[in-house]
Amino acid sequence: MSEVMDRPQTLNLKVVGTRPIRPDGADKVTGKATFGADFSMPGMLVGKIKRSPHAHARIVSIDTKKALALAGVKAVITAADFPDLASEEYEAGESAANLRDLALNCMARGKVLYDGHAVAAVAATSSSIADAALALITVTYDVLPHVIDVEAAMEAGAPVLHAHLFTEGLETKPDRPSNIAKRNELMRGDLEAGFAQAEVTVEGRYTTAAVHQGYIEPHACVAAFAPDGQCQVWSSSQGQFMVRTYCAKILGLEASNIRVTPTEIGGGFGGKTTVYLEPLALALSRQSGAPVKMVMTREEVFRATGPTSGAVIEVKLGAKRDGAITAARVVLKYQAGAFPGSPVGAGSMTALACYDVPNFSVTGFDVVTNSPKVAAYRAPGAPISAFGVESAMDDLARELGMDPIALRRKNAVRDGVKAAYGPTFRNIGYLETLEAIADHPHYKAPLGPNQGRGVAVGFWFNVGGESTAAVQVGEDGSAVVVTGNPDIGGSRASMAMMAAEVLGLPIEKVRPIVADTASIGFSMLTGGSRTTFATGMAVTQAAQKIVVDLKRRAAQIWDVPVEQVDWINGAAVCLDAAKADKGDLTLAALAAQSARTGGPIGAQVSLTAQGAGPGFGAHICDVEVDPETGHVTILRYTAAQDVGRAIHPAYVEGQIQGGVAQGIGWALNEEYVFDSEGRMENAGFLDYRVPVASDLPMIEPIIVEVANPRHPFGAKGVGEVPIVPPLAAVANAVRAAIGVRMTDLPLSPPKIRAVIDAR
Amino acid sequence: MPHVVAACSTCRQFTDGLVEFDVEADSVRRMIGELDRRFPGLGEHIERRMAIAIDGEIHQDAHGARLAADSEVYLIPRIGGG
Amino acid sequence: MSQIAYLAPTSADEAAAALIKGGATARVLSGGTDLLVQLRAGRLAPGLIVDVKRVPGAIGIRQEDGGFVIGASTPGMTIGEHAALEKAWPGVVEAVMLIGSTQIQGRASIAGNLCNASPAADSAPALIAARATCVIVGPSGRREAPVEAIGIAPGRTSLAKGEFVLEIRLPPRAARSADAYLRSIPRTEMDIAVVGAGVNLTLDADGVIADARVALGAVGPTVALAPDAGAAIIGTRLDEAALARLDDAARSACQPISDKRGTVDFRTKIAGVLARRAAAIAYGRARGRA
Repeated sequence: MSEVMDRPQTLNLKVVGTRPIRPDGADKVTGKATFGADFSMPGMLVGKIKRSPHAHARIVSIDTKKALALAGVKAVITAADFPDLASEEYEAGESAANLRDLALNCMARGKVLYDGHAVAAVAATSSSIADAALALITVTYDVLPHVIDVEAAMEAGAPVLHAHLFTEGLETKPDRPSNIAKRNELMRGDLEAGFAQAEVTVEGRYTTAAVHQGYIEPHACVAAFAPDGQCQVWSSSQGQFMVRTYCAKILGLEASNIRVTPTEIGGGFGGKTTVYLEPLALALSRQSGAPVKMVMTREEVFRATGPTSGAVIEVKLGAKRDGAITAARVVLKYQAGAFPGSPVGAGSMTALACYDVPNFSVTGFDVVTNSPKVAAYRAPGAPISAFGVESAMDDLARELGMDPIALRRKNAVRDGVKAAYGPTFRNIGYLETLEAIADHPHYKAPLGPNQGRGVAVGFWFNVGGESTAAVQVGEDGSAVVVTGNPDIGGSRASMAMMAAEVLGLPIEKVRPIVADTASIGFSMLTGGSRTTFATGMAVTQAAQKIVVDLKRRAAQIWDVPVEQVDWINGAAVCLDAAKADKGDLTLAALAAQSARTGGPIGAQVSLTAQGAGPGFGAHICDVEVDPETGHVTILRYTAAQDVGRAIHPAYVEGQIQGGVAQGIGWALNEEYVFDSEGRMENAGFLDYRVPVASDLPMIEPIIVEVANPRHPFGAKGVGEVPIVPPLAAVANAVRAAIGVRMTDLPLSPPKIRAVIDAR
Repeated sequence: MPHVVAACSTCRQFTDGLVEFDVEADSVRRMIGELDRRFPGLGEHIERRMAIAIDGEIHQDAHGARLAADSEVYLIPRIGGG
Repeated sequence: MSQIAYLAPTSADEAAAALIKGGATARVLSGGTDLLVQLRAGRLAPGLIVDVKRVPGAIGIRQEDGGFVIGASTPGMTIGEHAALEKAWPGVVEAVMLIGSTQIQGRASIAGNLCNASPAADSAPALIAARATCVIVGPSGRREAPVEAIGIAPGRTSLAKGEFVLEIRLPPRAARSADAYLRSIPRTEMDIAVVGAGVNLTLDADGVIADARVALGAVGPTVALAPDAGAAIIGTRLDEAALARLDDAARSACQPISDKRGTVDFRTKIAGVLARRAAAIAYGRARGRA
């Protein structure tokens, strides 16, 4: 069912919009929450993975005999233990994944494509035996030249990763394989004419390095393959149904025989919307006959799980002297890692999404490289293209002598304007976010020496998709809200709040739980900023169905027509004045009589939520640069965002602050460093530098609410927009502070010091 | 009748470069069917790889969605979030 | 399968004997904040761990003959909380407090920091500038050596088989003396020094620098004194010209490498910057003392 609510409820809300303490909070801060690595089963074995030390090589042979013979080793697997899948696209995550590529990424077959690529795995009775077994596996490689830099990979003479990969999206079909998996193009109007009309042009070439989602909890799972073929998996994942589907496809099993329970998750940010360990753990469990636990080390997370793309961005803008942009050309080259599938498509569609440009061309290249297969990272693709466009816009403002917010306002998209990616915008709050930062005291605060201020904006689509929610009322009048979406951002609390609002219960009486694949109907995974929107819609509808049922029951008890019953503040109220002596029937009172009035009280709703509202953000960043050390200090950061309606404002603020923190890290210090052999040099948090708490000021979020009419409370997705503007916001602030445009991220101290010396 | 724009380069390989069409259909399901009839293979391509924006709202897997006579329909690649 | 034996001797002789007997795979356990990390990362596979924290004198801070004696396994947190030590040697204390993080400070020790022999060890530059010495015990008894003699190459010390560091000794403090330590890291904490500079000064009654020692970390295979850098500011009140000479001398004393943490060019320039800034802080502190 995909019914649309008539109008979002925004008046007289009692729970939605307040800030109750999150239900999972106490367990998480006291260390009691059960994460994937905390889970144990009797007789459990430890699983570990043998990984390639080469960035690109043919696997000549794998000898596992000695490992199998070692006492305590119960299973050893290689690609030979998996079906050889034909190339097939399947949608289980959020976008179609090529199943064959996914399976090959989990376990290499024939070739290894990055340092860290899994080639074999073992299950043993202890961690040290598993380590010893890995050391006994002999793999013979025929090392091949490798390529990691995106432009080097695009060149004609580059080592080719896949002999059967031919560039898609070209006019004439190519006859030679390439590392360019796909070329896409978005166009409007007449680019040449547009630039001819321009009175001012700015150009820039920008680069970003591969960065990791940086979730604090490494991947972990426990898998149990019973002799009767029933499988159970406990996994740290953003989507238990996705895990089930992928495991079924990769292993050739029936999905109905696999039950996946999501454990508490310590961050995902898109990096856990795929599988790495689960198919291997199941295969090891099948072979050994015992449950198998696999937990990645931080080094494995870096070497073998998806970062997002490193990229090259080229931007050219043309505008009139009054600031109206007449033409824009953007070229994007994104690393996909070992298999095709970088987010260059989304990067292309979002690049100009904030601007109403009459003539443009955006070209994107998806390029495979000998580095870990790229995975989704919070607004995948968008921060990268925004970095280029927003830096160029900053230069344009400077060239025109125009205030940067005014320049964006001049070219802003608004309701009724066609988006750069096609459809016409409706109910967007972009102008409101620009007003919010323009009016904020931060924008007028004075700056001192070596300090600079930068502004940048960003966009993300947000998605809807399939969700199921079940609400059950207990005999004491409390309620349980069951959904299938792992909670990565506080959504669980928001589900409870929406149900509490509709039912008229205090939040303490509503308990949200996240259920496994056998206990709740299908839900698309948690990602794409969809959960509060889509699953919230299902929760609200389920609660509304219950209210309809409660009124019917009250009418039955009172013996009045159901039209005479209303539901107010958690109780049935009789509207017939003549029967006013009835008194209200609370939820608890009705629950106590449920057997007599039709049975247990509950409802389930499954829907495909449509009409997710896109989000816009506008940020201001102040920095101070130490000209002698090149050190950048973030002095102040303000981020305005249109969220539709903040169901739980503290978690909305948390999402904004978290996205900004990741964007700042991306801008200042994070990058993958590879040596000449193609091995990652900084596969740990010591040298892969995410911001620490003392690196950041308190980030001030400004919640702007332009309701999404398609959601019962007006909510739009929140989690991804905030990471889009910071890369350019920081770079623009540094430009203002040191007087030189820096185009290559990260802006680490040695780079800044070198630029200052050359100034 | 609804006006359909294929806002992506991958569709063009089915339509020989054509990007805009008027399609006689009152639902998404019928629109996909009609497009597949005109350009064989495009139907499956849309179902697997594309999202559909109807009058500005993005829909995915929305066979039942109704199309009005003046609906503006955009075919855009499916977006994956993080 | 690999087994690790663990011993916690209660005398220096017992510890030395255990280390000799354990041979090549014996390792000293002080705070463990390097040892355990390396063990878990598979970079070390010790057969015997000798925990020296119960050897008398290993933990604790006392004043003796006008100077300080710090048990080499004393946790950084304890050092940071010692008011008298902090007053006399603010540079040494702030350097030790930079090791790791607040949590690491509960265990991290000077012994471990020095004997891990990383060229980026945070405690070393300030201790060397302070003329600190190590009391080393081993099979041949006790000996004392300057801190700069401990690290001889990245990851290697001059300690003989069976030896370990028991105490760190700081000499009596002359009047109008103060020290300071600065390091350059890309973030604001919890990083390995890209460059470290320790400066120790003594002023005469007129505020003129009578004695100066500058030691630099992470810009060479070991942490080392930069004698010309100290000499460059003796006899001055740290005016601009003196600071410029200090900057030059510090840079000349560098022999850094380019690695993922910093380039030769960057490290060299920053060595000059930090030497100047640490000297200014030490000078300000020394002037504040009558």
